[in-house]
Amino acid sequence: MGDAWVLPALPIAGFVVLLLFSPWLPRKGDWLAIGLMALAFVLVLVIGRDVQNAIGDGNFHGVARSWQWSNIPGALEIRMGTFVDQITLVMLFVVTLVATMMMVYSTSYMHGDRRYGWFFAIVSLFVASMLTLVLADNLLLLYFAWELVGLCSMLLIGYYNDKQSAAEAAKKAFITTRVGDVGLLIGIIILFTQTHTFNIQQILHMAEAGDINSKWLTGAAICMFAGACGKSAQFPLHVWLPDAMEGPTPVSALIHAATMVVAGVYLVARMLPLFEVVNGMPELITVIGLITTLGAALIGLTQRDIKRVVAYSTLNSLGLMMVALGSGAVGAAMLYLFVHAFFKASLFLASGSVIHATEEQEVDKLGGLWSKMPITAPVFVIGAAAMAGLIPLSGFWAKDEILAGLYHGPIDHAALVLVLISLPITALYMTRVVLLTFFGEPKDHHVFEHAHESPPAMTAPIAILAVLTVVGGFVIFEGVGKALGFHSGWLGFVYNAAEGPEQFKVVWWLSIFSVVSVGASILAGAWIWGGAAEPSKRAAAFSPFFYRMSLNRFYVDELYQLIIDKVVLASGRAVAWFDRAIVNDSGVNGTGEATGYLGFLAKYSQTGKIPNYALGIVVGVVVIAIVAFGYRT
Amino acid sequence: MESVHASIPLSNFIVLSSILFSIGVYGVLARRNAVLMLMSVELMLNAVSINMVAFAVYTAPTFFVGIIFAVFVITIAAAEVGLALAIVLRVFRNRGTANVDEIDTLKW
Amino acid sequence: MTQVFFYIMAGIVVAGALGVVLVRNVVYAALLLIVSLLGVAGIYILLSVEFLALVQVLIYGGAVTVLVLFALMLTRTGELKEKLDGDQKPLAAVAALALLGAFFAMISQTTWPRDINQLTVVPFGDIGDALFNRWAVPFEIASGVLLVALVGAVVISMQEEGER
Repeated sequence: MGDAWVLPALPIAGFVVLLLFSPWLPRKGDWLAIGLMALAFVLVLVIGRDVQNAIGDGNFHGVARSWQWSNIPGALEIRMGTFVDQITLVMLFVVTLVATMMMVYSTSYMHGDRRYGWFFAIVSLFVASMLTLVLADNLLLLYFAWELVGLCSMLLIGYYNDKQSAAEAAKKAFITTRVGDVGLLIGIIILFTQTHTFNIQQILHMAEAGDINSKWLTGAAICMFAGACGKSAQFPLHVWLPDAMEGPTPVSALIHAATMVVAGVYLVARMLPLFEVVNGMPELITVIGLITTLGAALIGLTQRDIKRVVAYSTLNSLGLMMVALGSGAVGAAMLYLFVHAFFKASLFLASGSVIHATEEQEVDKLGGLWSKMPITAPVFVIGAAAMAGLIPLSGFWAKDEILAGLYHGPIDHAALVLVLISLPITALYMTRVVLLTFFGEPKDHHVFEHAHESPPAMTAPIAILAVLTVVGGFVIFEGVGKALGFHSGWLGFVYNAAEGPEQFKVVWWLSIFSVVSVGASILAGAWIWGGAAEPSKRAAAFSPFFYRMSLNRFYVDELYQLIIDKVVLASGRAVAWFDRAIVNDSGVNGTGEATGYLGFLAKYSQTGKIPNYALGIVVGVVVIAIVAFGYRT
Repeated sequence: MESVHASIPLSNFIVLSSILFSIGVYGVLARRNAVLMLMSVELMLNAVSINMVAFAVYTAPTFFVGIIFAVFVITIAAAEVGLALAIVLRVFRNRGTANVDEIDTLKW
Repeated sequence: MTQVFFYIMAGIVVAGALGVVLVRNVVYAALLLIVSLLGVAGIYILLSVEFLALVQVLIYGGAVTVLVLFALMLTRTGELKEKLDGDQKPLAAVAALALLGAFFAMISQTTWPRDINQLTVVPFGDIGDALFNRWAVPFEIASGVLLVALVGAVVISMQEEGER
């Protein structure tokens, strides 16, 4: 565990080699990236066993190892290194597994692309930064990795660099997350000025002991949460995630489903002891999560692009994770993160498979693909069902734990009610997209004729992920956990550090309610969108206002563009005017011109006539005499 | 003869000197012909000499630097007039005029 | 008695000077210059520095005036019927009067030293002594200046080849 630094080092090495030498390597070096990633995954399993051995049955507080990074005595002594605990372990597992799956998938999906080698290089760099982020033991290193992750995300969103929309989406992603990142940096700096350390564990201890001034602590917490909102696409910084679908589908699967967007969730989970000390912070986190999850669910009902629907489902899930953290249910949130990585990645990769097969993304052109894609279609259906929370798939167990956490938690039960409302809506839109894509009459026969199943390099990873989707949720049971070599089920392994390990208990009426509501909505969805989908058209006509609001994503993007135009660009124009007219023309040029003009006027005193100059001399003497004379008296 | 000191106060000489100087200044500024300007300069120099000599005689008769000064002033004035008139002749030959008003090529 | 003498001499000086700067005829101006300078010589005699009066008459009355008259002749000032007074005559008058006013103000503000009863005549021999002993260096330099002026005047006013 002390050697966990090897984990990011492997993909970094891959990145450097691929960046420099990929054009000359056979197959552009993708085997190198995949090999290093698989090796990293194996190392994660080794670390997991070490963590388990260290826990035994007692409490475990994580293993840290650090090196001196800067040493200015008295002012800046920073140590950087790794910190491994259970939360870290979950993230490591998820990142390396999904990355390996995705890279294998990409060998087929990205085959023949002009920038193939560069793709693997940047993905390796991304994984390295993500691993560093979750391993970081201090906030400064975390921030470095945070920014690096954002950079890789931008590079990969804009991968198709000949498309204007891709470039704009990359820019939008970077700028929106930047807004959050500024908050994160300010929060880190505030914490440093108050505690004189960047080390996370030290800060958490000081916060819990009440050693930090509460006003500064509140400010720092809000600022850091803003950073988490940016990276995890919470309202109001959610606008970049749907547009990020401009990137290649494997990128969406890895970065925007399984790993990078959960960096914000990871941050909140890691800093939760600090957030819980601040008054009102858990409520704030819950509210933001609720807005995100409900809004995304409502928007997902009307979107036409299959990847967009999955993107909004990601927003839905992220909001849910934040709500869970707001109630302090770290175990539930991390469980959801764990299973979400599997089913969301499988959904994205399956969508990629559909797109690869049909060259189409709009559901208006799809339909009836079940018969044509015997592996992709079931995988997608399984993933969608897990997303909806159908028992006994993994999504159900995770959602159930979240509901239980809300029920037992300190937040007002109104939040629980709202989450319960969002469950059927989620089921509804997932059902919609499944029906419109894979069932019913094909809407475009030309597309239908050409559709075919994808090659094994693509179907194998998604199949593996589908299997994990089905069984992944069972780790919540004690028996399963012990069978895997751990000392207890999930909740005994991953828990809120402030509260301690939990036992898995079922809140029966909640579970039954969620099963029933999900089942009912799936049936309702089948009725609305099945077959010729007549009821959906009636519903759309019934309330055009809601339909338009949903279709246009509640006009948030338009609002931001308006603000940018009216406020940002207008102030830019004002400043530019000021700079041009006042500073440049009046100040810089004006001074020169004034001097020139004075010179122009003054030259007329050089008449060249001696009597004039003599007069000047005499006048000068008289003036001096008067001044001296007046002085004397 | 009664002492000149008793009957004519020093200030008289100084007044005379300043009047002569002012007249010389007017001449330098108002006259157009170069030679006439030089004559006015002579007047100014003489005014200065009277001033120095008067001060020397009245206040420090044993240390008569003012008188020596006046001697040198006369000497240098003579030299300068010769040289200046040579220049005026040269200018007259080049320009055809001795009017200082018309010699103004070094202007804007 | 001496007072009368003084006022006469002063009057000659001032009148001559005014004439130099005001009259229309250049030759008259030159001659009035001589008159004025001779008046100055009289002032020197009044001040008991006869040596200086002598030098004044010799140099100014002799050399300088002749030079001036020759220059007037060679530059044809008398023949060319041009205005003798410049454009800035009023300004010149104002400046000169201002200067005069400044002088008078200063003179009236000064406390002059009390008269002494005995006239101290400066012995002529002492002047010569001082001139060649104490003031020897300026004396030599003055002669250098005269040499330079002489040579310079010749060089400047030399007629070139083909010049009229």
